[in-house]
Amino acid sequence: MKIHTYEKLWLVAAMVLIVGIIATITYGTVGLGIAMVDDQEDTISPGELNDDERFADPRVEQVGENEYEAYVVAQTFLYQPDPIEVPENSEVTFYVTSRDVIHSFSLVGTNVNTMVVPGEISVITAEFDEPAEYGVVCNEYCGSGHHDMEGMLYVVPEDEFDLTELSVTADEEVELGDDATFEVTVDNGQLDDLETTVALEIGDETVEEDVTVSGDDSYETTFTVDSTDLGEGDHDWTVTVDDHTEQGTLSVVEDLEDDEDGGDDNE
Amino acid sequence: MSSATDQSQADHGAGGSQVDQPVREIGHDEYDPIGTLTLILIYFVLLAFLWVFMYFVEFLGNDPTVIGWIGAGVGLA
Repeated sequence: MKIHTYEKLWLVAAMVLIVGIIATITYGTVGLGIAMVDDQEDTISPGELNDDERFADPRVEQVGENEYEAYVVAQTFLYQPDPIEVPENSEVTFYVTSRDVIHSFSLVGTNVNTMVVPGEISVITAEFDEPAEYGVVCNEYCGSGHHDMEGMLYVVPEDEFDLTELSVTADEEVELGDDATFEVTVDNGQLDDLETTVALEIGDETVEEDVTVSGDDSYETTFTVDSTDLGEGDHDWTVTVDDHTEQGTLSVVEDLEDDEDGGDDNE
Repeated sequence: MSSATDQSQADHGAGGSQVDQPVREIGHDEYDPIGTLTLILIYFVLLAFLWVFMYFVEFLGNDPTVIGWIGAGVGLA
């Protein structure tokens, strides 16, 4: 069979095109690691998300050096947590599920996009190299508030990122002469140790303690302040750990029985 | 190897009496559809450019992208 030279030429060109397209996809998959969203994750009962340790408390968790997992719940018409905060130079795996109807989880202007189906857990991994702000929107019509369903994802500089949580249990009222106690708990959700300073400011006094909180652990400490030094009246206090603060007011009264009047006293 | 155009012109010229006589017979390699070739090459360049643009600019340019191991998608994870 005789084939015309031109015909050979465009037969070859067509083959080159096909091979080129397949090669590009292979490069993307093998070279760059681009993947499709799959359905390998086990199913979950949408009514029992609060009993699931991943979704009962939607959050971002550190699971390795520069590796994070975000557990996100979508429901009419919001995302939890909102905003989601992750550090730059991180690889984040999102586990997203829905509490009610079909939603989607789409980072606007990016290829990070998945349907969120009640009963299914959508798992997508993405790398965030630079600080950025992304809007999260729902692109599956989910009800009358669909157009308002949005969240935010902040990719923050590494030195601004932490998973520290501060909680303070303090006396609201003490009798003049007694000690006021402040029980401070610092949770370190990251895997590296956290070296920081816990500072309590009350009135003119500042009490500081340098602490090291081990990775994925919490630290408890108690500050004691002599109410005689403060004097009678209301005293605003602030406990600070890095950028986290807890505030409250301590009332020092002459006699604890005078509860009702004591609160109104001013210095 | 015959051309419908040539034939119809030939028919017309001969007053429509002879139907099957080609005006001129050419050999296999003499046939030279350079216009068709040019058109196909333009299509080829267009397709190649649009593919590269779509994949490398429109798709990969929209970082971040979902990553992972391909095996996970086919149940090998």
